[in-house]
Amino acid sequence: MPRWLRLGIVVAIAALVVVLVLAFRRPPQDIRTGTVGKPAAAFTLQKLEGAGTLTFTPADGKVTIVNFFASWCIPCKEENPALVRVYERYRASDVVFIGVLYQDSRDSGLQYVHDNGVVWPTASDDDGRVAFSYGVFGIPETYFIGPDGIIAGRHIGPIDETTLINGIETLRAKARP
Amino acid sequence: MNRSRIAIAVALLGIVVAVGWSARPHTETQAERVDRITSELRCVVCQGLSVKDSPSESARQMRDLVTQRVAEGRTDDQIRDEFRASYGDWVVLSPPVVGWSGLIWVAPLAAVLVGLAVALRRLRAPPATMPEPPAAAVAALRERVAREEALDLPADAR
Repeated sequence: MPRWLRLGIVVAIAALVVVLVLAFRRPPQDIRTGTVGKPAAAFTLQKLEGAGTLTFTPADGKVTIVNFFASWCIPCKEENPALVRVYERYRASDVVFIGVLYQDSRDSGLQYVHDNGVVWPTASDDDGRVAFSYGVFGIPETYFIGPDGIIAGRHIGPIDETTLINGIETLRAKARP
Repeated sequence: MNRSRIAIAVALLGIVVAVGWSARPHTETQAERVDRITSELRCVVCQGLSVKDSPSESARQMRDLVTQRVAEGRTDDQIRDEFRASYGDWVVLSPPVVGWSGLIWVAPLAAVLVGLAVALRRLRAPPATMPEPPAAAVAALRERVAREEALDLPADAR
């Protein structure tokens, strides 16, 4: 086998190993898809609680947490206590929480928010268009949106208190002059 | 012989007619367009299924979106770009040739070309030849053979 060919094979195998190592080092909750780093989509959805609509307008100068959930989603119930605690911590601040019900009936969603102490604004994404515009794979998924309206990060799967607080504080620190 | 030639000619004619028929100009209906586009998009909650083939709720919602976009008169590229904007190039079952995903197309081709180059090189190379032994060694070997042959001769021949 010629020397150049042997060298080529070694380089190709080394490149493959590097790609695999880099791919496996990335946390599975942080899959970079099309929407991270781009402006968040504005939306208007029917509120779960009461009549009327809930409108989210990005770039309103506030840190916003958008959480996609459903009543049939077991990991959503697992992460909910962390969301409740972090919401209470930032309730008086300029951090906004929005819950988006995904692939679920409004009745079941309403029952879920009552049973699980979800007191932040929630709305139902009946046709899945909002989830699509955010690039949701499967719930629960949580999006961190900065005051500039850019999606700074996403978390796939049940989120914990530390990850939530770290994400919020990072965005608040960036927003401070 | 004639019969088999006629059979081959008929078969070839059949193939040409079939290919021509399938390639005839045909105006795609909206439903066919939706089927084609959704068959090129990946179901985001499935393992290796297209949006067209998946029975999941997410795929159904995506099919509805494609149907709406087709009805609105959007082009195929506009619809695919909308999906790419949300899910990246990953959502397209056939990755684009440009950018890093182009490596998926280029790498097998490059491997085949390298393999062909190696095979051609080997075919063109002159056959391997044994090095000539030194003259002294050849002479010694001949002498030894002659000696051994003389020993093997029948007694009356000596």
